[in-house]
Amino acid sequence: MAITQHPSGDWLSAYAAGSLPLGQSLCVAAHLEYCSQCRQNYSRLSQLGGELMQTLEPAPSQKLSLEALMARIDTQPEQPPQDIEAEGLDLSPEPRQLSPDNNSGVPRSLRKLIPNGYDKLKWSRISWSIRSAELCRDDKGLKVELLRIKPGGASPKHTHLGDELTMVLQGSFSDEEGVYHAGDFMACDQTDTHTPVASVDRECICLTVTQAPIQLSGFFGRWFNPLLRRGYTPS
Amino acid sequence: MVQAQQKADQQKQLKLWLSAVGQSRDRAAFAKLFEHYVPLIRAYSLAQEPGATLVADDLAQEVMIKIWNKAGSYNSSLANTNTWVFTLARNARIDALRRNGRYNTNIDADDLFEHLEDDGPDPFQAAQTLMTQETIHAGLAQLPKEQADVLHKVYLQGRSHQQASEELRLPLGTIKSRIRLALKKMHLLMGGQ
Repeated sequence: MAITQHPSGDWLSAYAAGSLPLGQSLCVAAHLEYCSQCRQNYSRLSQLGGELMQTLEPAPSQKLSLEALMARIDTQPEQPPQDIEAEGLDLSPEPRQLSPDNNSGVPRSLRKLIPNGYDKLKWSRISWSIRSAELCRDDKGLKVELLRIKPGGASPKHTHLGDELTMVLQGSFSDEEGVYHAGDFMACDQTDTHTPVASVDRECICLTVTQAPIQLSGFFGRWFNPLLRRGYTPS
Repeated sequence: MVQAQQKADQQKQLKLWLSAVGQSRDRAAFAKLFEHYVPLIRAYSLAQEPGATLVADDLAQEVMIKIWNKAGSYNSSLANTNTWVFTLARNARIDALRRNGRYNTNIDADDLFEHLEDDGPDPFQAAQTLMTQETIHAGLAQLPKEQADVLHKVYLQGRSHQQASEELRLPLGTIKSRIRLALKKMHLLMGGQ
């Protein structure tokens, strides 16, 4: 299915600049693995960064000398063909591929957080049709989590708090505006109101990045807010 | 025009030096790259944290070591040297912030960007989509100052849109729309985004 929903230029440029909160960056990175058009735009936005850097007033160092640097380079452990990060776990002995890994279906950018596939995560049931698994909280307190929605589940109409990102990883869902498939990326803010419904033939898994811990929110979050008002607490 | 020509010549030279480091561990060429890029990498660090000269020295050193170690994988048809060094500096800055405990996750810059470096099966097409350095410079030169200022905040000072909105005392929506307008004016994005 063709991807129809892309991050807008303000999102993509903040990602290329490295100034997006990490949770949101992860969501953009996952989208890029599905979308070659956005990868190309990302390349151009990185070029913009390279040229903006050239407009800075150069600030020569008093302390850093070439000799000292070469001495450090000469004493570092022998480099294999590719630089291996000092603290890094070597994640990928296999050749790189851009499309999400076929075995687990998990995008590469999420594999550190989802090492053994979606089914091995700790899922909590939030309502009859929705389960969630928190992946991490980022530097800005944003909550990165997966939502897994049963086929055909529907939600009450809802709005959003602040910027909330959603990316479809598997399956599809629709709302008043259209149908969203794997790879589609959506940024919602308080001005958006909609009523999502998962497609009837298979479950839908989405990555969401939301403000936390204010309250349950997000593209699907309000599905269970009526339950919360009745005193239901997610386990 | 003269200036554009100078920049093009300089870029050609930088590519030759970087290739020489990658192919034959050429130390004289590396010294030239050191001379050109260390003051810019420091300036990039100082743009985010003015006055933090030790942080700037550390970042410059780290990035230069990466340049030495990774020069062999530099592909001049996919990125000019300025873009390549920028992405190394950006990643190093993210990882430095993370190491200092500002980020409470084990996600690092490689998770966010590494998988994008090979662009698919058709590098020729990927190269075709790049813009020339002159086009970008010409585009930057014609931006209204209010748009250029926001790009500066986001790219060089490393500010999130929210932070830019606070520092410039503008609504968040204005920050975002200025960025979109600037990118549109520069014809940076393909596919009508």
